[in-house]
Amino acid sequence: MIVAEKLYLKPKTIEEAIRFAKQYENKFRYLAGGTDVIVNKFQGNDEADCLIDLANIDELKQVVKNKNHLKIGSLIRLDDLKIHSEIKKLFPALLEAAHSVASPMLRKTATIGGNILCENRCIFYNQSEWWREAVGYCLKCDGEICIATGGKKNCFSKFVSDTAPVLIALNASLNIIDTNGESIILLEEIYSGDGMKPRKLSRTAIIKSIQVPTKEKQICIFKKLRPREAVDFSSLTTAVSKSENGTIRIVLGGVDPKPILVEGNVRDDKKELIKQAVKKARIIDNDFYPRLYRKEMITVFLERSFAELEKILKA
Amino acid sequence: MQVLKLTINGKKHELLVDEHEMLSKVIREKVGLTGTKIGCEQGSCGACTVLVNKEPVLSCITPAMRFDGAEITTIEGVSKNGELHRLQEKFVEKGAIQCGFCTPGMVMTALDFVNKNPNPSVHEIQDALSGNVCRCTGYKKIIEAVAEYAQEVKGEKLKVKSPETTKGTVGVPRPYIEATKKVQGIADYADDHKFKDALHVKFVKSIYPHANILRIDASEALAMQGVRYVATGKELPITFGVLPLSQDETAMAIDKTRYAGEIVAAVAADTEEIAAHACKHIKVKYEPLKEFLTIDDSLNDIGTAEKIHDTTKFNNNIHKKAELRFGDQQQGLKEAEVALKMDFEMIGINHGFTEPHASTAFWDENGLTMISATQVTHYLHRALAKTMEVPLGRVRVIKPYLGGGFGGKGDPFAHEIIVAHIARKTGKPVRVKLSREEVFLNNHGRHPTKMTIQLGASKDGFLKVLDADVAIDGGAYGSFGVVTSYYNGVLLQAPYKLNNFGFRTFRVYTNKPQCGAMRGHGAVNTRFAVESMIDEIAHKIKMDPVEMRMKNFLEPNSLTVGQYRITSNGIKQAIKTVTEQADWKNKHGKMPHGHGFGVACGFFISGSALPIIWNELPQSVVHLKLDFDGRVLITSGANDIGQGSDTMLAIIVAEVLGISMDKTFVIAADTLITPVDLGSYSSRVTFMAGNAAKDAAENLRKEISNAIAKKKNIAAEELHFSENRIFSNDKSVDLSWDEAIEILTANRGAVNVSGKYISPKLGGDFKGAGAGLSPSYSFSSCVAEVKVDTETGHVKIVNIWGAHDCGKAINPLAVEGQLEGSWHMGMGQVMTESMDYYNGLLINNNFLDYKIPTSLDTPPIHTNIIESIDPEGPFGAKETGEGAIHAVLPAIANAVYDAVGIRITKLPIKADEVLRLLKEKSKKEIAI
Repeated sequence: MIVAEKLYLKPKTIEEAIRFAKQYENKFRYLAGGTDVIVNKFQGNDEADCLIDLANIDELKQVVKNKNHLKIGSLIRLDDLKIHSEIKKLFPALLEAAHSVASPMLRKTATIGGNILCENRCIFYNQSEWWREAVGYCLKCDGEICIATGGKKNCFSKFVSDTAPVLIALNASLNIIDTNGESIILLEEIYSGDGMKPRKLSRTAIIKSIQVPTKEKQICIFKKLRPREAVDFSSLTTAVSKSENGTIRIVLGGVDPKPILVEGNVRDDKKELIKQAVKKARIIDNDFYPRLYRKEMITVFLERSFAELEKILKA
Repeated sequence: MQVLKLTINGKKHELLVDEHEMLSKVIREKVGLTGTKIGCEQGSCGACTVLVNKEPVLSCITPAMRFDGAEITTIEGVSKNGELHRLQEKFVEKGAIQCGFCTPGMVMTALDFVNKNPNPSVHEIQDALSGNVCRCTGYKKIIEAVAEYAQEVKGEKLKVKSPETTKGTVGVPRPYIEATKKVQGIADYADDHKFKDALHVKFVKSIYPHANILRIDASEALAMQGVRYVATGKELPITFGVLPLSQDETAMAIDKTRYAGEIVAAVAADTEEIAAHACKHIKVKYEPLKEFLTIDDSLNDIGTAEKIHDTTKFNNNIHKKAELRFGDQQQGLKEAEVALKMDFEMIGINHGFTEPHASTAFWDENGLTMISATQVTHYLHRALAKTMEVPLGRVRVIKPYLGGGFGGKGDPFAHEIIVAHIARKTGKPVRVKLSREEVFLNNHGRHPTKMTIQLGASKDGFLKVLDADVAIDGGAYGSFGVVTSYYNGVLLQAPYKLNNFGFRTFRVYTNKPQCGAMRGHGAVNTRFAVESMIDEIAHKIKMDPVEMRMKNFLEPNSLTVGQYRITSNGIKQAIKTVTEQADWKNKHGKMPHGHGFGVACGFFISGSALPIIWNELPQSVVHLKLDFDGRVLITSGANDIGQGSDTMLAIIVAEVLGISMDKTFVIAADTLITPVDLGSYSSRVTFMAGNAAKDAAENLRKEISNAIAKKKNIAAEELHFSENRIFSNDKSVDLSWDEAIEILTANRGAVNVSGKYISPKLGGDFKGAGAGLSPSYSFSSCVAEVKVDTETGHVKIVNIWGAHDCGKAINPLAVEGQLEGSWHMGMGQVMTESMDYYNGLLINNNFLDYKIPTSLDTPPIHTNIIESIDPEGPFGAKETGEGAIHAVLPAIANAVYDAVGIRITKLPIKADEVLRLLKEKSKKEIAI
């Protein structure tokens, strides 16, 4: 049997990891926790021959507080976020979101960086090779059309991270390291909106940390729609934040190839903001719940979130 | 390949592993520690959990190379110095182990959790276990075990020794005899048995739901190094099927394929990877045919298109029509002052057992031996002899420990026949294990059902008429479908007295994976409809639905309209128990909007009185052997599938002989060694194998009594057997068991006796009278409490109260486990489970998208055993494995009605549908 040579590399530093990545440019995949990548590999959706496991890079596992930010290392496991008292104190919604991901065991392996980079999902894509051949391969796996929409030429696979909507609502940015050095980018800006290639980051880039501003106090309400109280990916995730300066950020997940962001101000008509969010979401039928139901729930979830915000502010 | 160093359970290993090999595979295949189980291969079931450097890891989705140099603890490393860990003891003691397949993962998860959270709430335990699927227990006993262990760790409770397990008394709650083996991960399931030089099989599966196979080119695959055999359909032309009536399946598709996923070719190779790789290089040319995917498609005349099976009678795809009518339904409708006609629609569901199918076959001087995950060794034995064209005496089927069945391992399967065939062709042992996707494609689950039901009653609540018009979607092959067709109707004739009753069921073939028997076989969906309609009528006539049911129940020792003989009947006590416990009188109809209570009842057979294959063999035979060592060897063909039948047999024999359990030993489900038992289906084992065991034990007791009577010159009737002694009232004879055995075996040696069970002649003499006949019937009732979020449509189950009349609980711990598992499974069907198709392709073929309720979704379950003491059951016992499920589904739906006034007619109850119905209702109300 002729099988391509496989590699499993375990760099100790970010620089080494990027060096490996450059070396195996076309056939590598970074592993953070690996819970997403490995399942995609089993299903033949990821054929990387070279896995670069970041698990041993300690500088990715730190939480650092400076004057204006809390920097959360990208390789911190979802389950470990709660250990850090600063996160607990400042961003309880982030812990809530992290706790809503998958199941306890997966959260002990999956990382926050991995979660925000989690591959988009669709019932026509997250299937075995046999299944995808039988259905006639959709756009996202080298097919001609999007099957979920009955023939569109765009891919609408769902963005499913639960932590990213909260982080975007909290105005988080990423510290990114790549071949050309370090840069900072707003989290929402890495998402392309194209289900085929949902993230704009270069293949070799590594998120060093996620930095969340702390200068102004922010309150955030997180909600997630799913059939069961554990294990399930999101059918709709909402995060609504209000900052001390009056800025309101509404973020939706699970209803579009990218997170939907609507910004406003406390003085704005909430109903208008909600309407904008609903309008932006390109929901299709690729979920346990039908499209129109998820659309309707955006309003319900957001109205409830605003009511809860108000309650907290009053208290 | 790389060298990987691991310390596993304190032992150092240097292993040559593939760079991308998963840790689970290394542990299971390379180190040979098979306690770590593979249930889903995507991290959704938790069975593969191990500790790596004291942190829990899902070993099936984690590359082994990540852990070079790590210390790993698997389930085999948890007990120390021959003693179980205290958490393991708790699992055993609380009955948290049924099939045991999820147990290793559960224990590892719970161990880590309690270590880090020494003072957990019940909710926190539920949360911690929410990634570990258990399909048997409903999580209740597992959570209890973890909670008690945590309390002990905290020092709240002193160590309590497990209850004395030496008394062989019927009615004493006790763990399964094999529980300690299962909790240590050393009980071997089908895929844990290792064979030297075995080949591994993978399948090429059809990508079309209905297509002619024009050509199969396997030349490339055959040329690959490590590929030993490629089998195609033509080599196995003999049809099989569990029912003699529908032998409509071949091991692989021959000229055409009837569902997407059907096996078209099989590759046997040195490794699984090579076999899988080779499958991709087999080229199959298909010619697609028009496919039939819905019940309606298949009921109608199909014009010039090709039928799914050319054996069906008319120009459609109807496989079976079953119809029976009693009394006068037209007259009944006239008499009814309130009559309802309602449509219901239920989607298909899958058993969801945690252990995927696995089999190994080999041939030697004794013919074929097959070790397989089956709940019907006997029917597999017959199917293998038929398809391999060898005498029955050249086939041996062994069932190892089995990771759950629920009907899903109740047919002979294509993969079993294929590995038997390839083993013969290659002369080597041949193994196969199905992926979770393949388990779903194999299906044999609950039939999708559409039905129109008419139910009428008088204003004072007496039922006057029931008519059921049912159509069920059988998928591509027959399986148990003919029985299902009848059960859909006949099992409605109780627990209520009905004079005018009839049904008609059409079972159709469609181009989808086949449906068959699943827990509560045939009766679950129609029962849901009838119980919902009784609720509706009660509401219409302003009567408490409990009161209305009370008016209609059949009495003990009565006949149903279709001439079922009802003997013991605890239905009134069951409904009384649950409604009192739930405070029904003060709750139903009295809660605020959005909060409701519902009730329902159920009824099921306690074993089919007629065998599947007509012959005069007893339904069950049990052999006992007693030799000089005083241990009674019990051999029985009964298949313990996690429901505890081995333990049941031992308890019964120990009870009759008055000996402790340690003087028994059970060997079961090996067709060479054990006498025939028909298998674990139709909830027959406790009643039938239990009776056979009792008969055998009584025969042995007679032998012992006679020997002692002769020796001691006393009448045999005067001897008592109790607490390992045999004595007369006046103690003139007072022997220990060993002394008695010495007398028994003197000049004779080992004594062998046999016992059997044969059903009495039952039923009417009309065509179809045999369907649903049983020597006894079980009864059950449930109350559910729900809260409905009226803005989202989300239904939350708050409480389940259940009561089940099992006649007599031989082992109350096991009975509770069966009941809790049934209610949990019913909850799954009613809330989240469905098999969804896209153009004949099963979409949700994994444990992420097929949504079995997690521990967090499972409400408190309040369990009640009702004992009506059946006159013919062993010690009064009857079934408990299936009958409990029926009531829970409609109880939940009726609770939704009580909460928000909408009637659920489609399952599962999805939030979007609830919301739609709520809107429809408020529109109507505005219109009024």
